[in-house]
Amino acid sequence: MNIYKPTRRQFLTTMACAGAYSLLSPMASVVRAQGKQVLKVRNDRDIQILDPATMVGGGEIEVQFAVLPRLVEFDYSQGKVDPMPGVTVERIVQRDPTHIDFRLKEGFKWTNGFGDFTAEDVKYSFERMKTSDWSGYFDQMERVDVQDKISGTIVLKQPFAPFWLVTMAHGVGCILSAKATEKAGGKFTTEIPATCGPYLFQWMPKQKNLFTPNPEWAGPKPDFDEVQALLVEQDKAAILAYEAGEVDCTEITSADHARFKKGMPANSKIFVAGALQYFWLGMNTEHPKLKDIRVRKAIQYAVDVDSIIQGAYSGTVEKSFGPVCPGLVGKRNKTKYAYDPAKAKQLVSEAGATGLELELKTLNQQERVLAAQIVQANLQVVGIKVKVLPLDGGPFWNLGQESKGDQWKDSQLWLMRYGSNPDPYEAMQWFRREQIGIWNWERWSDDEFEDLYIKALAETDSDKRNRMYLRMQEIMEDTGAYVWICHEPETYIHNTRITPKTAPGAEMIFPDFKLA
Amino acid sequence: MWFYALKRTGLAIIIVIVAVLLLFSLLHMIPGDPISIALGPRATPEIIERYTEKMHLNDPIVVQFFIFLKNAATGDLGLDVFSERSVALIVGEQLPYTLILAVVGLGWAVLLGIPLGCISAVRPNSLLDRITGVLSVGTIAVPSFLVSIWALLIFAIHLKWLPVIGAGESGDIMDQIHHLILPAFAVGLGWVGYLARLVRASMLEVMGENYIRAARSFGLPQRTVIYRYALKVAILPTITLIGIGFGNLLAGAVYAEIIFARPGVGKLIYDMVMSRNFPVIQGAVLITTAFYVVITLFADLMVAWMDPRVRESLL
Repeated sequence: MNIYKPTRRQFLTTMACAGAYSLLSPMASVVRAQGKQVLKVRNDRDIQILDPATMVGGGEIEVQFAVLPRLVEFDYSQGKVDPMPGVTVERIVQRDPTHIDFRLKEGFKWTNGFGDFTAEDVKYSFERMKTSDWSGYFDQMERVDVQDKISGTIVLKQPFAPFWLVTMAHGVGCILSAKATEKAGGKFTTEIPATCGPYLFQWMPKQKNLFTPNPEWAGPKPDFDEVQALLVEQDKAAILAYEAGEVDCTEITSADHARFKKGMPANSKIFVAGALQYFWLGMNTEHPKLKDIRVRKAIQYAVDVDSIIQGAYSGTVEKSFGPVCPGLVGKRNKTKYAYDPAKAKQLVSEAGATGLELELKTLNQQERVLAAQIVQANLQVVGIKVKVLPLDGGPFWNLGQESKGDQWKDSQLWLMRYGSNPDPYEAMQWFRREQIGIWNWERWSDDEFEDLYIKALAETDSDKRNRMYLRMQEIMEDTGAYVWICHEPETYIHNTRITPKTAPGAEMIFPDFKLA
Repeated sequence: MWFYALKRTGLAIIIVIVAVLLLFSLLHMIPGDPISIALGPRATPEIIERYTEKMHLNDPIVVQFFIFLKNAATGDLGLDVFSERSVALIVGEQLPYTLILAVVGLGWAVLLGIPLGCISAVRPNSLLDRITGVLSVGTIAVPSFLVSIWALLIFAIHLKWLPVIGAGESGDIMDQIHHLILPAFAVGLGWVGYLARLVRASMLEVMGENYIRAARSFGLPQRTVIYRYALKVAILPTITLIGIGFGNLLAGAVYAEIIFARPGVGKLIYDMVMSRNFPVIQGAVLITTAFYVVITLFADLMVAWMDPRVRESLL
């Protein structure tokens, strides 16, 4: 009988092939993940500072939501965003316009041996924010009084309606351990001294944020045993990763949104997280070429916003009529102007501006450049020649800043997008008189606007606030310095095995992601 | 030989200083401050001023440069503007990924390119030589980022053989190798062409030498003549090229790192340039430039050691 005896070369070749096969086998990763529910999402920016007092925002807030307690969280059960008590809170009520009473649940502890989560931690966390980079959200708060270990009262200087959703429910409202933070020197950057949340956090720089179960957590257990927020900065790479099954959820661009609407990948759904952004064409009211309000109003009539929405955004965004975003008090449903090139031409002619040449600056991003080209074509029709200048972030963000030199004097037209929070005051603050030369690049001011801004902050009646913010937007429109374009949503694609949850600003809330 | 090594080391230090000075000048010409770019409307004048102070941007450029050099000489590359982490630590975390990518990418290119070049030289103008020539030029001409995208689309998306993104699970060597295959392929493919062409040209020149003819006339086997006599001399320019290639890949792998979402120094520098994080850019470029210079120095010393003619000329 012949017994097969492989040579040394044949044996090594066979072993190499077997090893290569095991590497290439798609089953390998499934076997490794077996036994636990792992959620993989895309993270588009690495963390820099996790301390709410000095954070940059974005990905940091997602970490904070997963590992730190908040007094208030977002409730979407009524089809709109409302505040609800946080998981660690037994009760929180607005006793009167300037007092909010809270009572914490017992049994929640900080990690690293820093003891119980107490009302003193709330006092410490909120009061330190009054002198932080985000102090604007706490300016209306006077102090926090502590009654006992788990009870306290937040005292406001005056009624401040946004305090619930914009301050307490957001990243700036995350509570820190007083003892742990003080032991760390009163501040921190990438390592939180102690956490109290359903997950523990591990940062792998330039790779991923890893969340694993916190064994000391006394609250409800999240559906996922592990969350990996993989750092993928390029949108296209993220979508390819999703299509290859390597992430369960990723944000997508408007172009991809339109593509997926026509042909969705298998087992996938689109989720619109929020449209708390507002995009507009701004004009420098002090520039010699734009000082005449007839020229500015001509531009308002000349720009075909519907074409921009179709051409630059493939029809996937909501048209905007002001800076207040959908779902908020004060959301506007129309403007006084409408697309009317004939009227625009007439105004240009009356102003003696036929043949006027202007520069339109924008960030060098696909949708913005497309929008700029459409504006260019629209204004050409009415006799205004526009040169489009796409810019990198650096020079663009300096355009209207007086502290950066005299370039603001030459700025004429620009396309700008700001993000907002779930309260209209957040959008309005950038257009105040004090912001001229900082973020009010249009350089206008109005006494009635200033007065309404202050009053609306303190007004708690929704209808009255609504009328105030509508009037403020009307004042803005009457300056002629704005052509409102759209509210860019944050859109995600996810596989059908998960149900995502996000904040109104589209930050993912990992503990609240559910298995479908 | 030692004197040559010392002389080259001194030259290397000068090269690094000049490179950093150039970088300093270029960086400060770029408009935009990091906090405005990072925070947008939330960047108040007070916050901008605080970060400007942190980065010493109010000091004259010459002062900033000498402060940086003085600190760098003691190993202090400064702190990240936002996270306040040591720049040396930040770069040190990313460097191993780029080194591994460069070693593996260039490694497989060497293993394939040199034999291909040898075979082409031994059988000049044969069908194999012509095919190798066309493919070599083709792989050199195609940019590495295009190769990355094609490889990703074919092997990761369409065939689902290999992963799309990331560097693999930490601690899992097999997973990390799995994640390294495509990026290393993309990075190394062009180098296969370079090396094959260079080795072919060197070998053709050497194979015409008298001592090769003499070795053949003594009846030595063809394999011995090629590998022990011809290749030993023909490989010398290739060693220099490999040194330069490795240095290039330290920052040049940025395309592969971005497309495959891998950590690495190239991507780190790109991200920091976009966010105007000057301390990290300065530190990362200093380290990669130093690496580049050291590697090319090592390659030159290796050539000097291997080639008795060069050794003699240095004594």
